[in-house]
Amino acid sequence: MSLEGNTEIKLEHVSKTFVDKKNMSYPVLKDICLEVKKQEFLVLLGAGRTGKTVLLELISGLDGEYEGTISFAGGQLETKDMGIVFQKYALFPWKTVLENVEMNQKFRGMEKEERIAKAKGYLKLVGLEGFENHYPHQISGGMKQRTAIARAFAGESDIMLLDEPFGALDAQTRWQMEEEVLRIWEEEKRTVIFVTNNIEEAIYLGDRIVLLEGSPAMIKKEYIPDMKRPRSYTDTRFLELRNEIGDDFALVL
Amino acid sequence: MARMKKWMDLLLPVLSVFLLLTLWILLHVRKPDIMPAPLDVLQKLWEITLHPISKATLPIHILVSLGRVLGAFALASVLGVTFGVLLGWYETFHHIAWPVFEIIRPIPPIAWIPLIILWCGIGETSKVVIVFIGAIVPIVLNTVAGIRQVNPMLLKAARSMGANDMAIMREAVLPDSLPSIVAGMKTALSTGWMCVLAAEMVVARQGVGFLIIRGMDSGDSALILAGMVVIGVVSALITVALNYLEVRLCPWKVTQK
Amino acid sequence: MSKAGRQLIKKILLGCLGVAMFLGIWQLLMTVGIISQRTMSTPGQVMETFLVKLSSPDPDGATVQEHFWSSLKLAMAGFFSAILVGIPMGLVMGYYRTARRLLNPVFEIIRPIPPIAWIPIVILFLGIGMPAKVFIVFMAAFVPCVINSYTGVKQTNPVYIQAAKTMGAGHWRIFTRVCIPSAVPMVFTGIRISLGSSWSTLVAAEMLASTNGLGYMIQMGRTMIRPDTIVVGMLVIGCTGALMSILLGRVEQHIAPWRD
Repeated sequence: MSLEGNTEIKLEHVSKTFVDKKNMSYPVLKDICLEVKKQEFLVLLGAGRTGKTVLLELISGLDGEYEGTISFAGGQLETKDMGIVFQKYALFPWKTVLENVEMNQKFRGMEKEERIAKAKGYLKLVGLEGFENHYPHQISGGMKQRTAIARAFAGESDIMLLDEPFGALDAQTRWQMEEEVLRIWEEEKRTVIFVTNNIEEAIYLGDRIVLLEGSPAMIKKEYIPDMKRPRSYTDTRFLELRNEIGDDFALVL
Repeated sequence: MARMKKWMDLLLPVLSVFLLLTLWILLHVRKPDIMPAPLDVLQKLWEITLHPISKATLPIHILVSLGRVLGAFALASVLGVTFGVLLGWYETFHHIAWPVFEIIRPIPPIAWIPLIILWCGIGETSKVVIVFIGAIVPIVLNTVAGIRQVNPMLLKAARSMGANDMAIMREAVLPDSLPSIVAGMKTALSTGWMCVLAAEMVVARQGVGFLIIRGMDSGDSALILAGMVVIGVVSALITVALNYLEVRLCPWKVTQK
Repeated sequence: MSKAGRQLIKKILLGCLGVAMFLGIWQLLMTVGIISQRTMSTPGQVMETFLVKLSSPDPDGATVQEHFWSSLKLAMAGFFSAILVGIPMGLVMGYYRTARRLLNPVFEIIRPIPPIAWIPIVILFLGIGMPAKVFIVFMAAFVPCVINSYTGVKQTNPVYIQAAKTMGAGHWRIFTRVCIPSAVPMVFTGIRISLGSSWSTLVAAEMLASTNGLGYMIQMGRTMIRPDTIVVGMLVIGCTGALMSILLGRVEQHIAPWRD
């Protein structure tokens, strides 16, 4: 089933319930309906433990047990058709930065020279030239996450899923990475779903912000930060929107 | 004050070894027929290095013991890792085979000696088999533990890059369990070394375990102590070598600590 | 039925299947004659010998219980004395620099010698009676006790020590109230290793020089070519080891419940 018009991903009445060993049910997501447009930068915003990661895993196909339907413009997509950036980097510690990035195309069966050239290109894109032969434990958190982003991009999928990618970084690095990720996205436009629990990050990045709330989580509200990029944290409209989301958010907490 | 401390740091270890030697010499004076003097032991070491006991000089005895250990260890590594991977990765196989493994596992390798001698005779095979039994258990245990503790994020990442099952095993599961497997091999080698001594003590014509039992049978305590010195030194060297190997094999794990 | 319940039943059934297959293959190998009756007994024969051996002293002079108690007594005597000496020694070595400087060199000399290598010299000194075996078991259990208590104290999180200092605690209090409790998990790991090591070392000692005990029993089984007694002995040794380890787990749960 392919989608019409400008829609890349469509979620219809998606619900998810976990069952634990004692047979207790924990509903985490309820009746999520969402359309993501092509080349849109969509932010999923929610407090800790509101099922954002779960929703991302459903979309990515890492978790296939749910109710409702998820469909894509490109037809039947699987996990390998999406680029994923994980919360804690998920780099392979025994591989160098270059090998980590190169791995994506290696798994897809590309010839060695070609995939190395490609990996180097993406490392350049994320500003990691000169660090190709470092191991993950030798570089900073921000650089690890850049590597992970380069690796996800190297798969050349149209859809990128980022799960709280900057959650583990300090504030300064985080701002820097937010700028970076926008720059990369503008250079190579893809459809992005970006998960965060940080309101400012959401406003700074998103074409559209979807607020998840409650247990089980439902979509509470959508916001469109109608501001030109690069957005300024001290801009009046930025602050207004922050307060607005903050008020809705407060109810959640 | 600081200088005093420095002096004490030097003095105390010397004092400690000195006290041990004094104790030894006291024992020697009290019971000269069963406790040789430290110098007698050194002399014995020199003597058995030059003159063969049971057709072999000391270096040969050491090599014989080490050869038995290394052969069995290599075999145990290959089979143990394979078995461990199967147990750790395939749920059904784990359910079937784990209980059997759990029944056999608590039997100390040394307790296998009589049965193995009955099966394989008193030749080389029985020693290798005994060491093998001692070495394979920790390797299997650690391989299973390593595979079950693989970072699930790495598996997800690999899947998102289109890796198939074989590639996930090769590129994610095995390397991520390597530190645990290597730790198992370390235990296996020291267990194996202990097993070879035990096996040689029960029945053998060569090897360092044989040396100390020969010392016991002939009441030659200098030979026993010389043998113990050799065993201790070889054990210590094995440990050093393994630690070095561990750093080489899993550099990412060691630097993280 | 719940999904979890079905999983459990599947697990148990497959486990039984595994054990049945193991026994079946064993029996089959013997029936077909791939393994000779001379060198191995069938599972049934082993079971039978076990029952007979509960009351009969043949072929090695004592019933299986007598061997069992004799071994257990020796193992426990050596094990507990090692704990009593080794753990305090390790703890003190971990905290007090002077003690460390004084004891560590001797300990480092003794440490690499595998416990069974002590057997000949100890037997020469003490004969083949009870004191010799207790001492050998002691050596086996002592080393891991010391190493782990020592490491446990050394690995105390320095933040805890600093926190205690800001609350005005002196050396003795920091040692007893901070370092020792935080070393407990490591100490238990040491005790666990000691237990296994003492049990298997005792078996070795009994095989080499003894007139009773489970190790003696299996060694006699070998000289008299009685595979059934050997296997019975091995199983009793294995079960005892497993039970002791389970028991220790219980004690550990009780003393250090914060450890998962």
